[in-house]
Amino acid sequence: MLKTLGTILKDNWEWRGRIANLSLFELRKKSRGAVLSWAWFFIRPAMYIFCFWFALEIGLRAGNANPDAPPYFLWLCAGLIPWFFMQDSINNGCDVLHRYPYLVNKIKFPLSAISSIYEGAQMIIELFLMVALFVIYFACGMGLDIYLLQVPILLLLMYVFWVMFSICFSQLSAISKDVANLIKALGTPIFWLSGVIFNVNDIPIPWLQTILNYNPVTFFTRAFRNAFYDKVWFWEDTSVLVGFVVVFVVQLLLMVVVYKKFNEEVADVL
Amino acid sequence: MSSKDKIEVAPSLSDTKDLHKTSSSGEVAIRFDNVVKTFNLYKNDRGRLLGIFNYKTRGAFLGSVNANDGLSFEIKKGEAVAFLGHNGAGKSTALKLITGVAYPSSGTVEVNGRVSALLELQAGFDQQLTGRENIGLRGQILGMSKAEIAELEPKVIEFAELGLYIDQPMKSYSSGMKARLGFAFAVAIEPEILVVDEVLAVGDRAFHRKCIDRIREIMMDENVTVLFVTHSNNTAKEFCSRGIVLDKGKMVFDGSIEDATKFYEENY
Repeated sequence: MLKTLGTILKDNWEWRGRIANLSLFELRKKSRGAVLSWAWFFIRPAMYIFCFWFALEIGLRAGNANPDAPPYFLWLCAGLIPWFFMQDSINNGCDVLHRYPYLVNKIKFPLSAISSIYEGAQMIIELFLMVALFVIYFACGMGLDIYLLQVPILLLLMYVFWVMFSICFSQLSAISKDVANLIKALGTPIFWLSGVIFNVNDIPIPWLQTILNYNPVTFFTRAFRNAFYDKVWFWEDTSVLVGFVVVFVVQLLLMVVVYKKFNEEVADVL
Repeated sequence: MSSKDKIEVAPSLSDTKDLHKTSSSGEVAIRFDNVVKTFNLYKNDRGRLLGIFNYKTRGAFLGSVNANDGLSFEIKKGEAVAFLGHNGAGKSTALKLITGVAYPSSGTVEVNGRVSALLELQAGFDQQLTGRENIGLRGQILGMSKAEIAELEPKVIEFAELGLYIDQPMKSYSSGMKARLGFAFAVAIEPEILVVDEVLAVGDRAFHRKCIDRIREIMMDENVTVLFVTHSNNTAKEFCSRGIVLDKGKMVFDGSIEDATKFYEENY
Protein backbone atom coordinates (compact mmCIF):
# COMPACT_ATOMS: atom_id res chain seq x y z
CA MET A 1 0.00 0.00 0.00
CA LEU A 2 2.65 2.49 1.08
CA LYS A 3 4.82 1.51 -1.86
CA THR A 4 1.98 2.24 -4.31
CA LEU A 5 1.36 5.59 -2.68
CA GLY A 6 5.09 6.26 -2.89
CA THR A 7 5.05 5.49 -6.62
CA ILE A 8 2.18 7.90 -7.21
CA LEU A 9 3.91 10.68 -5.27
CA LYS A 10 7.27 9.99 -6.89
CA ASP A 11 5.82 10.01 -10.42
CA ASN A 12 4.05 13.28 -9.81
CA TRP A 13 7.12 14.87 -8.29
CA GLU A 14 9.50 13.73 -11.01
CA TRP A 15 7.17 14.85 -13.78
CA ARG A 16 6.11 18.10 -12.14
CA GLY A 17 7.65 20.31 -14.84
CA ARG A 18 5.87 18.44 -17.59
CA ILE A 19 2.63 18.39 -15.61
CA ALA A 20 2.71 22.19 -15.37
CA ASN A 21 3.50 22.62 -19.07
CA LEU A 22 0.87 20.16 -20.17
CA SER A 23 -1.72 21.87 -17.96
CA LEU A 24 -1.13 25.05 -19.94
CA PHE A 25 -1.50 23.04 -23.15
CA GLU A 26 -4.81 21.69 -21.90
CA LEU A 27 -6.06 25.25 -21.39
CA ARG A 28 -4.82 26.32 -24.78
CA LYS A 29 -6.63 23.38 -26.32
CA LYS A 30 -9.84 24.22 -24.47
CA SER A 31 -9.78 27.85 -25.55
CA ARG A 32 -9.14 26.89 -29.16
CA GLY A 33 -11.71 27.62 -31.84
CA ALA A 34 -13.45 30.56 -30.18
CA VAL A 35 -12.71 34.21 -30.82
CA LEU A 36 -13.29 35.09 -27.17
CA SER A 37 -11.15 32.09 -26.27
CA TRP A 38 -9.95 32.87 -22.75
CA ALA A 39 -12.94 35.01 -21.86
CA TRP A 40 -15.23 31.96 -21.92
CA PHE A 41 -13.51 30.59 -18.83
CA PHE A 42 -15.06 33.55 -16.98
CA ILE A 43 -18.26 34.26 -18.89
CA ARG A 44 -19.75 30.90 -18.04
CA PRO A 45 -19.16 31.16 -14.26
CA ALA A 46 -20.40 34.77 -14.35
CA MET A 47 -23.67 33.66 -15.94
CA TYR A 48 -23.99 30.88 -13.42
CA ILE A 49 -23.45 33.24 -10.50
CA PHE A 50 -25.91 35.77 -11.90
CA CYS A 51 -28.65 33.16 -12.35
CA PHE A 52 -28.23 31.78 -8.84
CA TRP A 53 -28.08 35.24 -7.34
CA PHE A 54 -31.23 36.24 -9.23
CA ALA A 55 -33.15 33.08 -8.37
CA LEU A 56 -32.12 33.04 -4.72
CA GLU A 57 -31.98 36.65 -3.66
CA ILE A 58 -34.57 38.25 -5.97
CA GLY A 59 -36.82 35.27 -6.63
CA LEU A 60 -36.81 33.25 -3.43
CA ARG A 61 -35.71 36.11 -1.16
CA ALA A 62 -33.17 33.86 0.49
CA GLY A 63 -30.85 36.76 1.24
CA ASN A 64 -29.87 37.58 4.81
CA ALA A 65 -32.33 39.44 6.97
CA ASN A 66 -29.62 41.15 9.01
CA PRO A 67 -28.72 44.44 7.29
CA ASP A 68 -25.40 44.68 9.16
CA ALA A 69 -24.05 41.39 7.82
CA PRO A 70 -21.86 41.37 4.69
CA PRO A 71 -23.83 41.14 1.42
CA TYR A 72 -25.50 37.87 0.47
CA PHE A 73 -23.85 38.11 -2.93
CA LEU A 74 -20.43 37.57 -1.33
CA TRP A 75 -21.72 34.55 0.57
CA LEU A 76 -23.02 33.09 -2.69
CA CYS A 77 -19.79 33.73 -4.64
CA ALA A 78 -17.57 32.32 -1.88
CA GLY A 79 -19.41 29.01 -2.29
CA LEU A 80 -20.03 28.94 -6.01
CA ILE A 81 -16.47 29.78 -7.10
CA PRO A 82 -14.91 26.74 -5.39
CA TRP A 83 -17.82 24.71 -6.73
CA PHE A 84 -16.86 25.50 -10.34
CA PHE A 85 -13.57 23.69 -9.81
CA MET A 86 -15.28 20.74 -8.15
CA GLN A 87 -18.01 20.60 -10.78
CA ASP A 88 -15.44 20.15 -13.51
CA SER A 89 -13.55 17.59 -11.45
CA ILE A 90 -16.71 15.54 -11.08
CA ASN A 91 -17.86 15.85 -14.68
CA ASN A 92 -14.55 15.50 -16.51
CA GLY A 93 -11.95 14.66 -13.91
CA CYS A 94 -13.52 11.26 -13.38
CA ASP A 95 -12.67 10.20 -16.91
CA VAL A 96 -9.43 11.91 -17.93
CA LEU A 97 -7.79 8.84 -19.44
CA HIS A 98 -10.25 8.85 -22.32
CA ARG A 99 -9.28 12.48 -22.92
CA TYR A 100 -5.63 11.65 -23.41
CA PRO A 101 -5.54 8.24 -25.09
CA TYR A 102 -2.19 9.07 -26.67
CA LEU A 103 -0.58 9.49 -23.27
CA VAL A 104 -1.93 6.14 -22.14
CA ASN A 105 -1.05 3.76 -24.92
CA LYS A 106 1.29 5.52 -27.30
CA ILE A 107 3.84 7.13 -25.02
CA LYS A 108 5.23 6.07 -21.69
CA PHE A 109 3.62 8.44 -19.21
CA PRO A 110 2.59 7.90 -15.59
CA LEU A 111 -1.19 7.61 -15.54
CA SER A 112 -1.57 9.37 -12.20
CA ALA A 113 0.14 12.43 -13.69
CA ILE A 114 -2.61 12.71 -16.31
CA SER A 115 -5.07 13.47 -13.52
CA SER A 116 -2.67 16.05 -12.13
CA ILE A 117 -2.48 17.70 -15.55
CA TYR A 118 -6.23 18.00 -15.93
CA GLU A 119 -6.83 19.19 -12.38
CA GLY A 120 -3.86 21.52 -12.75
CA ALA A 121 -5.47 23.16 -15.77
CA GLN A 122 -8.70 23.57 -13.81
CA MET A 123 -6.77 24.99 -10.88
CA ILE A 124 -5.24 27.68 -13.09
CA ILE A 125 -8.75 28.80 -14.05
CA GLU A 126 -9.79 28.56 -10.42
CA LEU A 127 -6.92 30.84 -9.40
CA PHE A 128 -8.16 33.50 -11.81
CA LEU A 129 -11.67 33.09 -10.44
CA MET A 130 -10.21 33.49 -6.95
CA VAL A 131 -8.76 36.82 -8.04
CA ALA A 132 -12.26 37.78 -9.15
CA LEU A 133 -13.58 36.63 -5.78
CA PHE A 134 -11.09 38.88 -4.01
CA VAL A 135 -12.24 41.81 -6.17
CA ILE A 136 -15.85 41.08 -5.16
CA TYR A 137 -14.71 40.71 -1.56
CA PHE A 138 -13.09 44.14 -1.45
CA ALA A 139 -15.94 45.68 -3.45
CA CYS A 140 -18.28 44.48 -0.71
CA GLY A 141 -16.34 46.63 1.72
CA MET A 142 -14.50 43.81 3.49
CA GLY A 143 -10.94 44.31 4.68
CA LEU A 144 -7.80 42.19 4.81
CA ASP A 145 -7.58 39.93 7.81
CA ILE A 146 -5.80 36.86 9.09
CA TYR A 147 -8.60 34.46 8.12
CA LEU A 148 -7.79 34.94 4.45
CA LEU A 149 -4.51 33.11 5.07
CA GLN A 150 -6.39 29.81 4.94
CA VAL A 151 -7.39 30.37 1.30
CA PRO A 152 -4.13 29.07 -0.26
CA ILE A 153 -4.17 26.08 2.12
CA LEU A 154 -7.73 25.28 1.12
CA LEU A 155 -6.90 25.58 -2.58
CA LEU A 156 -4.02 23.14 -2.16
CA LEU A 157 -6.21 20.76 -0.19
CA MET A 158 -8.91 21.00 -2.82
CA TYR A 159 -6.38 20.24 -5.56
CA VAL A 160 -4.98 17.21 -3.73
CA PHE A 161 -8.39 15.79 -2.90
CA TRP A 162 -9.76 16.06 -6.42
CA VAL A 163 -6.58 14.72 -7.99
CA MET A 164 -7.00 11.62 -5.81
CA PHE A 165 -10.62 11.45 -6.88
CA SER A 166 -9.62 11.75 -10.52
CA ILE A 167 -6.85 9.11 -10.35
CA CYS A 168 -9.19 6.65 -8.67
CA PHE A 169 -12.25 7.07 -10.89
CA SER A 170 -10.40 7.61 -14.17
CA GLN A 171 -8.85 4.19 -13.88
CA LEU A 172 -12.20 2.62 -13.10
CA SER A 173 -13.81 4.55 -15.95
CA ALA A 174 -11.17 3.25 -18.34
CA ILE A 175 -12.12 -0.30 -17.38
CA SER A 176 -15.85 0.36 -17.59
CA LYS A 177 -17.75 3.31 -18.99
CA ASP A 178 -20.44 2.66 -16.37
CA VAL A 179 -18.27 4.24 -13.69
CA ALA A 180 -17.89 7.48 -15.65
CA ASN A 181 -21.64 7.59 -16.29
CA LEU A 182 -22.40 6.88 -12.65
CA ILE A 183 -20.17 9.69 -11.41
CA LYS A 184 -21.59 12.13 -13.97
CA ALA A 185 -25.11 11.18 -12.92
CA LEU A 186 -24.13 11.77 -9.30
CA GLY A 187 -22.98 15.30 -10.17
CA THR A 188 -26.45 16.78 -9.72
CA PRO A 189 -27.20 15.21 -6.31
CA ILE A 190 -23.70 16.05 -5.10
CA PHE A 191 -24.43 19.70 -5.88
CA TRP A 192 -27.95 19.94 -4.47
CA LEU A 193 -27.21 17.79 -1.40
CA SER A 194 -24.28 19.95 -0.39
CA GLY A 195 -24.02 23.36 1.17
CA VAL A 196 -23.30 25.29 -2.02
CA ILE A 197 -26.55 27.27 -2.14
CA PHE A 198 -27.88 26.82 1.37
CA ASN A 199 -26.39 26.50 4.81
CA VAL A 200 -26.42 22.90 5.95
CA ASN A 201 -26.53 24.06 9.58
CA ASP A 202 -29.92 25.67 8.96
CA ILE A 203 -31.53 22.29 8.30
CA PRO A 204 -33.58 21.49 11.42
CA ILE A 205 -32.95 17.72 11.20
CA PRO A 206 -29.61 16.84 12.88
CA TRP A 207 -29.06 13.42 11.27
CA LEU A 208 -29.60 14.94 7.84
CA GLN A 209 -27.02 17.58 8.64
CA THR A 210 -24.56 14.88 9.59
CA ILE A 211 -25.07 13.07 6.30
CA LEU A 212 -24.62 16.22 4.23
CA ASN A 213 -21.46 17.03 6.16
CA TYR A 214 -19.88 13.89 4.72
CA ASN A 215 -20.16 15.41 1.25
CA PRO A 216 -16.69 16.80 0.46
CA VAL A 217 -18.31 19.64 -1.51
CA THR A 218 -20.00 20.76 1.71
CA PHE A 219 -16.63 20.92 3.43
CA PHE A 220 -14.93 23.00 0.76
CA THR A 221 -17.76 25.50 0.27
CA ARG A 222 -18.14 25.87 4.03
CA ALA A 223 -14.41 26.32 4.53
CA PHE A 224 -14.15 29.01 1.84
CA ARG A 225 -17.18 30.78 3.31
CA ASN A 226 -15.59 30.60 6.73
CA ALA A 227 -12.56 32.35 5.30
CA PHE A 228 -14.34 35.01 3.29
CA TYR A 229 -17.62 35.54 5.08
CA ASP A 230 -18.05 34.05 8.51
CA LYS A 231 -14.43 34.57 9.59
CA VAL A 232 -13.85 31.21 11.25
CA TRP A 233 -10.84 28.88 10.87
CA PHE A 234 -11.83 25.79 8.94
CA TRP A 235 -10.50 23.45 11.65
CA GLU A 236 -12.73 25.12 14.22
CA ASP A 237 -15.83 24.08 12.30
CA THR A 238 -15.60 20.51 13.55
CA SER A 239 -19.07 19.39 12.47
CA VAL A 240 -18.02 19.34 8.82
CA LEU A 241 -14.29 18.71 9.37
CA VAL A 242 -14.85 15.25 10.86
CA GLY A 243 -16.89 14.17 7.85
CA PHE A 244 -14.26 15.46 5.48
CA VAL A 245 -11.34 13.76 7.25
CA VAL A 246 -13.19 10.46 7.01
CA VAL A 247 -13.99 10.96 3.32
CA PHE A 248 -10.40 12.05 2.62
CA VAL A 249 -8.92 8.93 4.20
CA VAL A 250 -11.41 6.65 2.44
CA GLN A 251 -10.66 8.34 -0.88
CA LEU A 252 -6.92 7.96 -0.31
CA LEU A 253 -7.23 4.26 0.46
CA LEU A 254 -9.58 3.68 -2.44
CA MET A 255 -7.19 5.44 -4.83
CA VAL A 256 -4.24 3.34 -3.70
CA VAL A 257 -6.21 0.08 -3.99
CA VAL A 258 -7.56 0.96 -7.43
CA TYR A 259 -4.19 2.18 -8.68
CA LYS A 260 -2.45 -0.94 -7.48
CA LYS A 261 -4.95 -3.23 -9.12
CA PHE A 262 -5.58 -1.46 -12.42
CA ASN A 263 -2.67 0.81 -13.29
CA GLU A 264 -0.89 -1.79 -15.41
CA GLU A 265 -4.08 -3.05 -16.99
CA VAL A 266 -5.51 0.26 -18.18
CA ALA A 267 -3.32 0.59 -21.28
CA ASP A 268 -4.55 -2.82 -22.48
CA VAL A 269 -8.25 -1.99 -22.38
CA LEU A 270 -8.42 1.67 -23.33
CA MET B 1 14.46 -21.05 -19.82
CA SER B 2 13.07 -24.12 -21.48
CA SER B 3 12.24 -22.74 -24.91
CA LYS B 4 15.91 -22.09 -25.50
CA ASP B 5 16.60 -25.67 -26.50
CA LYS B 6 13.61 -25.79 -28.80
CA ILE B 7 14.69 -22.89 -30.97
CA GLU B 8 17.50 -22.91 -33.43
CA VAL B 9 20.23 -20.46 -32.71
CA ALA B 10 22.56 -19.51 -35.51
CA PRO B 11 26.22 -19.95 -34.56
CA SER B 12 27.34 -16.41 -35.17
CA LEU B 13 26.13 -13.14 -36.54
CA SER B 14 29.54 -12.00 -37.64
CA ASP B 15 29.36 -13.50 -41.11
CA THR B 16 26.43 -11.38 -42.24
CA LYS B 17 26.97 -9.04 -45.12
CA ASP B 18 28.86 -5.82 -44.60
CA LEU B 19 26.15 -3.50 -45.85
CA HIS B 20 24.14 -4.49 -42.85
CA LYS B 21 24.70 -2.89 -39.63
CA THR B 22 26.65 -5.44 -37.68
CA SER B 23 28.57 -3.36 -35.23
CA SER B 24 27.38 -3.71 -31.70
CA SER B 25 28.91 -3.09 -28.38
CA GLY B 26 28.62 -5.52 -25.55
CA GLU B 27 26.04 -3.45 -23.69
CA VAL B 28 22.54 -4.79 -23.45
CA ALA B 29 19.86 -2.46 -24.81
CA ILE B 30 16.86 -4.71 -24.33
CA ARG B 31 16.48 -7.86 -22.29
CA PHE B 32 13.36 -10.00 -22.11
CA ASP B 33 13.37 -12.61 -19.40
CA ASN B 34 10.61 -15.19 -19.65
CA VAL B 35 8.05 -12.54 -20.48
CA VAL B 36 4.39 -13.49 -20.51
CA LYS B 37 1.67 -11.04 -21.51
CA THR B 38 -1.84 -12.26 -20.94
CA PHE B 39 -4.99 -10.60 -22.19
CA ASN B 40 -8.27 -11.48 -20.51
CA LEU B 41 -11.07 -11.45 -23.03
CA TYR B 42 -14.66 -10.77 -22.13
CA LYS B 43 -17.74 -11.03 -24.27
CA ASN B 44 -18.82 -7.47 -23.51
CA ASP B 45 -18.23 -4.53 -21.22
CA ARG B 46 -20.56 -5.94 -18.63
CA GLY B 47 -18.37 -8.99 -18.38
CA ARG B 48 -15.32 -6.80 -17.95
CA LEU B 49 -17.00 -4.83 -15.20
CA LEU B 50 -17.86 -8.03 -13.36
CA GLY B 51 -14.31 -9.17 -13.99
CA ILE B 52 -13.15 -6.30 -11.79
CA PHE B 53 -14.63 -8.17 -8.87
CA ASN B 54 -13.06 -11.43 -10.03
CA TYR B 55 -16.53 -12.62 -10.81
CA LYS B 56 -16.04 -14.68 -13.92
CA THR B 57 -19.57 -15.31 -15.03
CA ARG B 58 -20.08 -18.13 -17.41
CA GLY B 59 -20.35 -16.87 -20.95
CA ALA B 60 -19.07 -13.40 -20.21
CA PHE B 61 -15.46 -14.45 -19.65
CA LEU B 62 -14.24 -15.92 -22.89
CA GLY B 63 -10.76 -16.87 -21.76
CA SER B 64 -7.22 -15.56 -21.77
CA VAL B 65 -4.76 -15.25 -24.58
CA ASN B 66 -1.04 -15.22 -24.06
CA ALA B 67 0.10 -12.70 -26.65
CA ASN B 68 3.66 -13.22 -25.49
CA ASP B 69 4.35 -16.60 -23.99
CA GLY B 70 7.68 -17.00 -22.27
CA LEU B 71 9.79 -14.75 -24.46
CA SER B 72 13.46 -14.52 -23.58
CA PHE B 73 16.04 -12.73 -25.64
CA GLU B 74 18.73 -10.12 -25.41
CA ILE B 75 19.42 -7.34 -27.88
CA LYS B 76 22.77 -5.59 -27.70
CA LYS B 77 23.20 -1.90 -28.15
CA GLY B 78 23.68 -1.11 -31.83
CA GLU B 79 22.00 -4.20 -33.23
CA ALA B 80 19.30 -4.07 -35.89
CA VAL B 81 16.76 -6.80 -35.32
CA ALA B 82 13.73 -7.77 -37.38
CA PHE B 83 10.69 -9.35 -35.77
CA LEU B 84 9.00 -11.68 -38.21
CA GLY B 85 5.71 -13.44 -37.79
CA HIS B 86 2.18 -13.43 -39.09
CA ASN B 87 -0.64 -11.34 -37.63
CA GLY B 88 -1.26 -12.11 -34.00
CA ALA B 89 2.14 -13.67 -33.42
CA GLY B 90 2.85 -11.19 -30.62
CA LYS B 91 5.20 -8.80 -32.41
CA SER B 92 3.33 -5.62 -31.63
CA THR B 93 2.74 -6.70 -28.05
CA ALA B 94 6.47 -7.21 -27.61
CA LEU B 95 7.10 -3.74 -29.02
CA LYS B 96 4.54 -2.23 -26.66
CA LEU B 97 6.34 -3.82 -23.75
CA ILE B 98 9.60 -2.34 -25.01
CA THR B 99 8.14 1.14 -25.38
CA GLY B 100 6.83 0.84 -21.84
CA VAL B 101 3.17 1.58 -22.48
CA ALA B 102 2.17 -1.95 -21.51
CA TYR B 103 3.42 -4.09 -18.66
CA PRO B 104 4.27 -7.80 -18.71
CA SER B 105 1.94 -10.12 -16.80
CA SER B 106 5.00 -11.98 -15.57
CA GLY B 107 8.71 -11.96 -16.27
CA THR B 108 10.86 -8.87 -16.66
CA VAL B 109 11.53 -6.42 -19.47
CA GLU B 110 14.67 -4.35 -19.21
CA VAL B 111 15.22 -1.40 -21.54
CA ASN B 112 18.25 0.89 -21.48
CA GLY B 113 17.99 4.06 -23.53
CA ARG B 114 15.50 6.53 -24.93
CA VAL B 115 12.91 4.74 -27.02
CA SER B 116 11.31 6.41 -30.01
CA ALA B 117 8.51 4.36 -31.37
CA LEU B 118 6.99 4.50 -34.81
CA LEU B 119 3.84 2.74 -33.72
CA GLU B 120 0.75 3.77 -35.65
CA LEU B 121 2.02 7.08 -36.90
CA GLN B 122 -1.38 8.64 -37.44
CA ALA B 123 -2.36 8.16 -33.85
CA GLY B 124 -0.86 9.86 -30.87
CA PHE B 125 -1.44 13.46 -31.83
CA ASP B 126 -3.84 15.89 -30.29
CA GLN B 127 -6.32 16.71 -33.01
CA GLN B 128 -7.24 20.12 -31.61
CA LEU B 129 -3.70 21.44 -31.65
CA THR B 130 -1.73 22.50 -34.70
CA GLY B 131 1.16 20.49 -36.09
CA ARG B 132 3.65 22.93 -34.64
CA GLU B 133 2.01 22.82 -31.21
CA ASN B 134 1.99 19.05 -31.32
CA ILE B 135 5.74 19.07 -31.86
CA GLY B 136 6.09 21.20 -28.73
CA LEU B 137 3.64 19.03 -26.84
CA ARG B 138 5.46 15.81 -27.68
CA GLY B 139 8.80 17.39 -26.90
CA GLN B 140 7.49 18.36 -23.50
CA ILE B 141 6.05 14.94 -22.87
CA LEU B 142 9.49 13.51 -23.55
CA GLY B 143 10.93 15.97 -21.06
CA MET B 144 12.88 18.21 -23.43
CA SER B 145 13.87 21.72 -22.48
CA LYS B 146 12.55 24.77 -24.32
CA ALA B 147 15.91 25.16 -26.09
CA GLU B 148 15.90 21.55 -27.24
CA ILE B 149 12.39 21.91 -28.61
CA ALA B 150 13.31 25.12 -30.40
CA GLU B 151 16.19 23.26 -32.00
CA LEU B 152 14.05 20.27 -32.90
CA GLU B 153 11.10 22.13 -34.41
CA PRO B 154 12.68 23.32 -37.69
CA LYS B 155 14.16 19.86 -38.27
CA VAL B 156 10.77 18.21 -37.95
CA ILE B 157 9.02 20.82 -40.06
CA GLU B 158 11.61 20.58 -42.77
CA PHE B 159 11.41 16.81 -42.92
CA ALA B 160 7.62 16.65 -42.87
CA GLU B 161 7.18 19.17 -45.72
CA LEU B 162 3.69 20.18 -44.70
CA GLY B 163 3.94 23.79 -45.85
CA LEU B 164 1.29 26.09 -44.47
CA TYR B 165 -0.53 23.20 -42.83
CA ILE B 166 2.00 23.06 -40.02
CA ASP B 167 0.04 25.86 -38.33
CA GLN B 168 -3.38 24.30 -38.89
CA PRO B 169 -5.18 22.06 -36.38
CA MET B 170 -4.31 18.42 -36.95
CA LYS B 171 -7.94 17.46 -37.46
CA SER B 172 -7.67 19.08 -40.89
CA TYR B 173 -4.76 16.82 -41.88
CA SER B 174 -5.05 13.84 -44.19
CA SER B 175 -3.81 10.53 -42.81
CA GLY B 176 -0.70 10.80 -44.97
CA MET B 177 0.10 14.20 -43.54
CA LYS B 178 -0.27 12.94 -39.99
CA ALA B 179 2.02 10.04 -40.79
CA ARG B 180 4.60 12.42 -42.21
CA LEU B 181 4.62 14.51 -39.08
CA GLY B 182 4.73 11.42 -36.87
CA PHE B 183 7.63 9.99 -38.77
CA ALA B 184 9.48 13.28 -38.90
CA PHE B 185 9.19 13.66 -35.15
CA ALA B 186 10.24 10.12 -34.32
CA VAL B 187 13.42 10.29 -36.40
CA ALA B 188 14.33 13.85 -35.39
CA ILE B 189 14.74 13.24 -31.68
CA GLU B 190 17.88 11.13 -32.12
CA PRO B 191 16.58 8.03 -30.41
CA GLU B 192 18.78 5.46 -28.77
CA ILE B 193 16.29 2.72 -29.52
CA LEU B 194 14.13 3.06 -32.62
CA VAL B 195 11.06 0.88 -32.91
CA VAL B 196 9.56 0.67 -36.39
CA ASP B 197 6.22 -1.09 -36.66
CA GLU B 198 5.26 -1.62 -40.31
CA VAL B 199 4.92 2.05 -40.98
CA LEU B 200 6.98 2.35 -44.09
CA ALA B 201 3.98 1.71 -46.29
CA VAL B 202 2.62 5.21 -45.75
CA GLY B 203 3.21 8.34 -47.73
CA ASP B 204 3.81 8.82 -51.42
CA ARG B 205 6.78 7.29 -53.17
CA ALA B 206 9.11 10.26 -52.78
CA PHE B 207 8.41 10.49 -49.08
CA HIS B 208 8.73 6.73 -48.71
CA ARG B 209 12.19 6.94 -50.24
CA LYS B 210 13.11 9.72 -47.88
CA CYS B 211 11.97 7.69 -44.88
CA ILE B 212 13.99 4.67 -45.93
CA ASP B 213 17.07 6.85 -46.37
CA ARG B 214 16.59 8.45 -43.00
CA ILE B 215 16.16 5.11 -41.26
CA ARG B 216 19.30 3.81 -42.92
CA GLU B 217 21.14 6.91 -41.79
CA ILE B 218 20.01 6.36 -38.21
CA MET B 219 20.99 2.71 -38.38
CA MET B 220 24.50 3.54 -39.43
CA ASP B 221 25.01 5.17 -36.08
CA GLU B 222 26.44 2.34 -34.06
CA ASN B 223 24.88 3.46 -30.82
CA VAL B 224 21.34 3.17 -32.07
CA THR B 225 19.44 -0.05 -31.62
CA VAL B 226 16.73 -0.66 -34.19
CA LEU B 227 13.77 -3.01 -33.92
CA PHE B 228 11.84 -3.62 -37.05
CA VAL B 229 8.50 -5.33 -37.35
CA THR B 230 7.48 -6.48 -40.77
CA HIS B 231 5.90 -9.15 -42.92
CA SER B 232 8.03 -8.20 -45.85
CA ASN B 233 11.23 -10.18 -46.05
CA ASN B 234 12.82 -7.72 -48.41
CA THR B 235 12.57 -4.80 -46.04
CA ALA B 236 13.86 -6.97 -43.25
CA LYS B 237 16.85 -8.08 -45.29
CA GLU B 238 17.55 -4.55 -46.39
CA PHE B 239 17.82 -3.16 -42.90
CA CYS B 240 18.56 -5.81 -40.35
CA SER B 241 21.30 -8.23 -39.49
CA ARG B 242 19.40 -10.44 -37.08
CA GLY B 243 15.93 -11.92 -37.24
CA ILE B 244 13.60 -13.24 -34.58
CA VAL B 245 10.60 -15.26 -35.69
CA LEU B 246 7.58 -15.36 -33.41
CA ASP B 247 4.64 -17.70 -33.55
CA LYS B 248 1.70 -17.64 -31.14
CA GLY B 249 3.68 -15.57 -28.68
CA LYS B 250 6.66 -17.91 -28.62
CA MET B 251 10.05 -17.40 -30.16
CA VAL B 252 10.62 -20.13 -32.74
CA PHE B 253 13.80 -18.86 -34.38
CA ASP B 254 16.62 -16.49 -33.55
CA GLY B 255 19.55 -16.03 -35.89
CA SER B 256 21.00 -14.14 -38.83
CA ILE B 257 18.52 -12.39 -41.05
CA GLU B 258 19.10 -14.74 -44.00
CA ASP B 259 18.40 -17.80 -41.92
CA ALA B 260 15.47 -16.15 -40.23
CA THR B 261 13.73 -15.10 -43.43
CA LYS B 262 14.40 -18.52 -44.91
CA PHE B 263 12.94 -20.20 -41.85
CA TYR B 264 9.93 -17.88 -41.95
CA GLU B 265 9.28 -18.50 -45.67
CA GLU B 266 9.58 -22.26 -45.31
CA ASN B 267 7.40 -22.62 -42.27
CA TYR B 268 4.73 -19.96 -42.65
